[in-house]
Amino acid sequence: MAQMIANAIQQAGTNFVESLALFLPRMVTTLAIIIVGWLIAMLLRTIVRAIAGWLRINVAAERFGVAPLLKTADLPPADALLGAIVFWLVWLGFLLSGIDVLGFTSLQGLLASFWAFVPRLLLAVVILIIGFVVANFAWRATLLAAVNGRVPSPRLLSGAVRWLILILTGAMALEQIAVARTVVLTAFAIAFGALSLAVAIAFGIGGGGIAKRILEHQFPEQQRSSADEISHL
Amino acid sequence: MAQDSVLSDELLHHLMAVGHVDVLVGVPTLNNAGTIRPVVKAVHQAFARYFPRDRSVIINSDGGSEDGTPSLVRNASIDDTDTVTLSHSLRTVHRISTPYHGVPGKGNALRQIMTAAELTQARAVVVLNADVTGITPEGVAALVRPIRDQQFDYVAPVYQRHPLEGPLVTQLVRPLMRAVYGWQVREPVAPEFGCSNRFVSHCLEQDVWDSELGRVGIDLWVTAEALAKGFKCCQAGLSPHPATPTRTPFGELFGQIVESAFVCLERHAPYWLSRNGSEAMPLASPPPSATLDPPMVDATRLTEAFAKDVENLRSVLEYILSGETLASLEMLAEKQPARMRFPDALWVSTVYECLLAHRSGVMRRDHVVQALAPLYLGRTGSFLQQYGTSPEPVVDEALENLCREFERSKPDLIQRWK
Repeated sequence: MAQMIANAIQQAGTNFVESLALFLPRMVTTLAIIIVGWLIAMLLRTIVRAIAGWLRINVAAERFGVAPLLKTADLPPADALLGAIVFWLVWLGFLLSGIDVLGFTSLQGLLASFWAFVPRLLLAVVILIIGFVVANFAWRATLLAAVNGRVPSPRLLSGAVRWLILILTGAMALEQIAVARTVVLTAFAIAFGALSLAVAIAFGIGGGGIAKRILEHQFPEQQRSSADEISHL
Repeated sequence: MAQDSVLSDELLHHLMAVGHVDVLVGVPTLNNAGTIRPVVKAVHQAFARYFPRDRSVIINSDGGSEDGTPSLVRNASIDDTDTVTLSHSLRTVHRISTPYHGVPGKGNALRQIMTAAELTQARAVVVLNADVTGITPEGVAALVRPIRDQQFDYVAPVYQRHPLEGPLVTQLVRPLMRAVYGWQVREPVAPEFGCSNRFVSHCLEQDVWDSELGRVGIDLWVTAEALAKGFKCCQAGLSPHPATPTRTPFGELFGQIVESAFVCLERHAPYWLSRNGSEAMPLASPPPSATLDPPMVDATRLTEAFAKDVENLRSVLEYILSGETLASLEMLAEKQPARMRFPDALWVSTVYECLLAHRSGVMRRDHVVQALAPLYLGRTGSFLQQYGTSPEPVVDEALENLCREFERSKPDLIQRWK
């Protein structure tokens, strides 16, 4: 009996040592992958930031109105953000590769899923960037046209245009990365429909006077603005 | 583009029949049936009275009029035979009316006229504005003579008009062009001008014709090119022109003129960066004297709108203007509209900073110009409020002070430009 117990303990010990002998190299490999990955990710972040600085990404971000939005959202400047995205994508890739080496059955396939997700994530980021640029351009163009055209409430109008495009862009980006796809689509459809209906009702019933003034402005032969009363040349 | 692609076969045929000419008068048109006859009549009278021995041709370059403008030009001498009863041209006055090809706009019309002038080796070329009925035979002669008799290369018009007329010229384009180019030109945006064959050949060699500047800003570019490329320039007085209601809405007009001015300044930077002060431009003939009425404008409406516009555009202006200039504008906007006085120095800073923002590409260039438009209206309203009832000499002095302020601030512009 005692012999049997001793054999079992010995077997368990042998198994443990064998498992440890098998696991330790994997652990070391995992740590090596994570550390090397971290170094590579840091290096890539530095390179990306340098290239972004050389390409004057921050100036472009200012020009296209992305910079103020990043500041409002408490995010770093465009070049730092780009570097951070590259760092986390690369390091997360190495991290998952390292975990995969450990051979945990429950975590198998995680790496494949991650790499399948990355292109969708990048596409979503591109959609967001384009959305920011388009939204800002449309906001400024609407504001300037509304001010020069003497349209009432130019800031409200241009702000509405900007946020509409941003919300549309956000919904498209979330749909791309498949985060709560049904919820996002349904919420967007309801919000957009409600907004359109509200604008139609407000403009048709409550804003008849505003509509009249805008339409009158579109036909200058009927009513000329103060600026058009002067012979400027 | 080669000559033969600018000139149609039919026009070439006409020009070959005409041969060499001494004076060529070009009239670009687009639906000008209501105003074209007095213009053609004035040209005929000018040829008959002042240049009877010269070989002359009138070329009407038409942008596709649908109101019969070309036929009115072609038949003008038949309808107006009474105009030449007292004096006759000793040579045939040729009249050619031809459509121009390409995008509608004065640039293509002018290109066709200049190409025809180069082909016919015209000694003097005059371009007239078909919208203005106030042109007289003496006015046409005033544009021809400095080229024909005094070897000038470019003649800019000087209109006898009230100093409160044309605020886009007096408040912005004239002082800006004077300070930057260093020449005192009264009418830099000249729809009417005279020029030599040498200047015509130079203009045709430039790459401006297919650009936006060539399409909408050719009047301004012609003046700027003559100044910047060292051509011998002068001014000639024309009779008072009745202020014709412009067909272009204010926003579009402002965009075209100011954008063209900014683009010209950028193109000619190598010339003006080394110039200081300004020189008076010779006046070949003074404008005839006339009694002038000030324009009747409700200036308070402009200054009232200014306060709202500055508030609305703050988020755009902060990208264009320095913090100091924007703060000054905001302080100005807080004042009572009826008492608002837009200082010269602040207006100069605003214009120069917009020019610099336009150049640096801080945002789309047309957005910079659009942001300047409400500020210009505020400045105009303020000036009209301040000088609306003042005698002409007082207004003239105020405009001269504004020009000097632009000149005083030019070194700062040059420093920031580099």
